[in-house]
Amino acid sequence: MAEIVLECRNLWKIYGKVVAVRDVSLGIKEGEIKVLFGPSGSGKSTLARCLAMLTKPTKGDVFLRGECLTRPGVDLNKARARIGFVFQHIWLFNHLTALGNVMLGLRRVLKMSKEEAEKRARRALREVRMEEWADHYPAQLSGGQQQRVGIARALAMDPEIIILDEPTSSLDPELTGEVIDILRELAKKGTTMLIISHEMLFNREVADEMIFFDEGRIVERGPPDHFFTMPKTDRARRFMERLIKQTARD
Amino acid sequence: MSPLEKLTFILMGVPTTLAISILSFFLGLAIGLPLAFIRAYGSKPFQILVDAYEKVFRSVPEIVIMLFFYFGFGSHLREPFKNAFFTATFVLGLRSGANQSQIFRGAIRGIGEEQMVAARSLGLSRLQAIVYVMIPQTFIAATPGLGSEYALLVKDSSYAFIIGVLEMMKRADVVRKVTLDTVFPYFAAAFLYILLTFPLSTYLDMWGTRKKKQLGL
Ligand SMILES: Nc1ncnc2c1ncn2[C@@H]1O[C@H](COP(=O)(O)OP(=O)(O)O)[C@@H](O)[C@H]1O
Ligand SMILES: [Mg+2]
Repeated sequence: MAEIVLECRNLWKIYGKVVAVRDVSLGIKEGEIKVLFGPSGSGKSTLARCLAMLTKPTKGDVFLRGECLTRPGVDLNKARARIGFVFQHIWLFNHLTALGNVMLGLRRVLKMSKEEAEKRARRALREVRMEEWADHYPAQLSGGQQQRVGIARALAMDPEIIILDEPTSSLDPELTGEVIDILRELAKKGTTMLIISHEMLFNREVADEMIFFDEGRIVERGPPDHFFTMPKTDRARRFMERLIKQTARD
Repeated sequence: MSPLEKLTFILMGVPTTLAISILSFFLGLAIGLPLAFIRAYGSKPFQILVDAYEKVFRSVPEIVIMLFFYFGFGSHLREPFKNAFFTATFVLGLRSGANQSQIFRGAIRGIGEEQMVAARSLGLSRLQAIVYVMIPQTFIAATPGLGSEYALLVKDSSYAFIIGVLEMMKRADVVRKVTLDTVFPYFAAAFLYILLTFPLSTYLDMWGTRKKKQLGL
């Protein structure tokens, strides 16, 4: 059986009076692709950020290859370098070119020489077909191009898992395709991923398991076909109907 | 004295005026940049200290502080404050630190938390994120404001005249006393101040504004 790469157990995240994540346990195995979906405000981003230790869980534990990250004294910078993260609103470094964005972590975290980092960064940009745009600043790129650089930035670090938080939802509809294509290729290569996505055709194609999330909880989980044919809960069924209608309209 | 001789005498104050302005600018930078980051990311007590520092230096006239340091400290206690050039530069630097702290803080706020989160997601430490991601963007966003701050310092360096530094203003006043010409010396000084401030601060403003637009900051 494949090893679990990243896992949370009984995870809670509470912001003041808002319980964003309540008692969630979830693991992603080597080579596995899990898709998380659910209504806006249900706590998906919060869960993703807790798993990447970008915010501190209120309660519960996160494990990276069995090593507990929620214990005091863990080097979280090292752990974060092993977990790739792609943001919904992209968040490239504004003052750096596409190449500079990809090189920063290689240079400052993995301590590569300039030449080595540049070689690796160009290779990552090639994988997302952004090599010709290496010298452009984020503001000079389209949303889809920016997100491809965002993926290259995460990819170049050679992470053990990549978490993608709605990587296409901030893009114009005509630009989502180019990003989806890249994600499809990553999936084919066996990249371990947790993807938050409502691109249902894509989800169905790549997901090993889909997880329907609502009100901070896992409501229902199963293989993609399960959701397309016979979701058990009312909430999941209603949500699927809405999504499918929306997809048909697009 | 011919007009040329008067002008030459006043011009000889330019290096001192520039030295006070530039040195106090960099002292203000060395104070203001860290203060801005402490204000943005430090713990509460430190934030309050920074606030207090800004309030004091932005509300007490620099001339009061300058006289206080020069006559207060200089006459009783501390050797370096007996030097009027040092005192003037030091006090203007302290005041500029308060101004620059505000300029940088505004810039940091404009850049936002996202850049920090993105940097941390790659495994950069908080300090690395500040050095490699926040500071470069902060500088670009702050450039127009820093240009104005430089112009302000050139102007305010004329306060040094009161504690006897032989800079441009003092020299203009000497010419007035010696020649009894009450128009030309001040007119020349005014013209020179414009020359020292306007081109550079305008350039910084234009460069900063263009760069900000290019980077979408
Ligand atoms: N930094 C924060 N501070 C306070 N509340 C937050 C914060 N981040 C998220 N929340 C709240 O947590 C809930 C879940 O948000 P989020 O994880 O962004 O949901 P989703 O990604 O599913 O749309 C929301 O009610 C949101 O307002
Ligand atoms: Mg979200």
